[in-house]
Amino acid sequence: MNDRIFGLLMLTLAVAYGWGAQQFPEPFGGAESIGPETFPTVLSIVLGLSSLYLMLRPDPSNGWPWNRTGLEMVCAIVVLCLYTALLEPLGFIVATTFAVGTLCWRMGAAPLKAYATGLIGGIVVFALFNFVLELPLPLGILEVA
Amino acid sequence: MESIGFLMQGFGLALQPENLMFAILGAFLGTLIGALPGLGPANGVAILIPLAFTLGLSPETSLILLTSVYAGAMYGGRISSILLNIPGDEPAMMTCLDGYPMAQQGKAAEAMAISAIASFIGSLIATIGLIVMAPWLASFALTFGPAEYFALFVLAFATLGGITGKNPVKTIMAAAIGLIIATVGIDASTGTQRYTFDILELYEGIDFIIAIVGLFAISELLFFIEENAGEGKPMIAMNKMKLKMKDIVAILPTAFRGGVLGFIAGVLPGAGASLGSFISYTLEKKILGKKGNFGNGDPRGVAAPEAGNNGAASGALVPMLTLGVPGSGTTAVLLAMLISLNITPGPLMFSQHGDIVWGVIAALLIGNVLLLLMNIPMVGIFVKLLSVPPKYLLPVVTMVAFVGIYSISHSVFDLYFMVAFGVGGYVLRKLEIPLVPVILGMLIGPEMEKNLRHAMQLSDGDWTILIGSSLSITLWCIAIAGLVLPVIVGPILRRRMGAAKATTGV
Repeated sequence: MNDRIFGLLMLTLAVAYGWGAQQFPEPFGGAESIGPETFPTVLSIVLGLSSLYLMLRPDPSNGWPWNRTGLEMVCAIVVLCLYTALLEPLGFIVATTFAVGTLCWRMGAAPLKAYATGLIGGIVVFALFNFVLELPLPLGILEVA
Repeated sequence: MESIGFLMQGFGLALQPENLMFAILGAFLGTLIGALPGLGPANGVAILIPLAFTLGLSPETSLILLTSVYAGAMYGGRISSILLNIPGDEPAMMTCLDGYPMAQQGKAAEAMAISAIASFIGSLIATIGLIVMAPWLASFALTFGPAEYFALFVLAFATLGGITGKNPVKTIMAAAIGLIIATVGIDASTGTQRYTFDILELYEGIDFIIAIVGLFAISELLFFIEENAGEGKPMIAMNKMKLKMKDIVAILPTAFRGGVLGFIAGVLPGAGASLGSFISYTLEKKILGKKGNFGNGDPRGVAAPEAGNNGAASGALVPMLTLGVPGSGTTAVLLAMLISLNITPGPLMFSQHGDIVWGVIAALLIGNVLLLLMNIPMVGIFVKLLSVPPKYLLPVVTMVAFVGIYSISHSVFDLYFMVAFGVGGYVLRKLEIPLVPVILGMLIGPEMEKNLRHAMQLSDGDWTILIGSSLSITLWCIAIAGLVLPVIVGPILRRRMGAAKATTGV
């Protein structure tokens, strides 16, 4: 089933991508034997054909984790997005403590140890980058004005 | 024999203090990366690329660092095979067969030492092979025209799934996805915007480094969470080593054969390190037959696959350096590094950047000596680090990936992109769509299009030029064979490898 759905998605992509290629404006200096649309057109045909094959002859599916594990994974993705969003406003050390700590904790470490790992890791990397490598990372809220 | 002269110059470069320091660092990190389950060589090299950039290393130093990491990872893979019975990386799978039983019999230290020596011999043989074969292949490749190159790239994709690959259609799909991603951005030769959707960040295209780190590092984290493997596995303790000279001599012929076979497997498209170690183990078992004690802790059963996979690892550099066509995930990542350094891999690299190529080859030789020294007396350090459970390790690795990408561009947009690629990578892996063709597609997409364009301009729009010479026809035939053979031979080979795996109860 997975392969069928994925095949359908990829077929849609192939059609949209191939159609998009036909819409490119003609390049300055007139059309040549091969333009910006040629290669994408070839690719869309290749992708289209292989996704059709996949829909007709799908492999047996791997199960998706529709349970607590799945929820944990969504959590992890959210944590990664939050890490990205908070990296600059909160600063590297605080954001890292939060992100690495939460990930360790959710993967089964004791909360205290988990956040300690995040804090120590954050400080070590921050010091390494700022003082040894001289590549400043954001300090964020820890910055003394 | 002009190669010798170049090699001497290469040694001159590789022995400069800075380069030597990075070679040692690379060898150490590589062994560690190889040893830690959940941090494969491709993954490890990928994470280190952004760091090499931000450190502002020169091209030769960056390459020496990453090649040492690559060589080191092949040594490291055996450590967890022997002590944990889980391969640190895929090629080390066969080492479990006899390595773990040896460890169970209280001979872990001997297994470590023997495998390190075998790894060294395998690498040494293959590096010599590389020195002999690479310049020859490079000068041959100079006769390639654009049509031949186009066919060669197709061949690279076709054989990437490997002879043990499952579904060739999925390999084709993965390649198409990668190539499609590569077309995003401004077309280099006409200036047309393609699929940029007027987003400024997309004008320059999608940076493959971000994609690679996301696809490998982030998707690995998700896999570990899914498998709930945060705790790690019980480990066998090391013992005091009592290795005699006689034991070392006993494995030398095995290691020698393994190295040669591995090298051949590494050079051939579609084989790779996993097959290299598999073939050398099986052959050794055949040759020694009843005389051996294979599967129950025979030292030669440790030596053969290790020599094989290290030989294959160096062998895989041959097509990567001479043709610009990598045969494995890790060499694809090394190719990414080359392209980002503005070095076009391929036959011209030997004439234009000869110093770098020979420097890297020399570094490979030096790295192997360093690794041998590191891996026998110092193996205890790696064993200690191996006991760090994945629940701490993977989040920290994720942090390193974030820092690396962030420090290249200081762009938060790139980080979101990396996370998105990670989630995408997880979905693809779940669907058993291989990631390496996706990456290769992103890497050689522009080059492939350029060659297609040149070929078509030469022929004035006649598509038959792509099969216009006997060389290109040969390449197309190999490519087709590369897709068809796995369907026929693959199930048999897979069954055998599976059976071998099952007997150890992994």
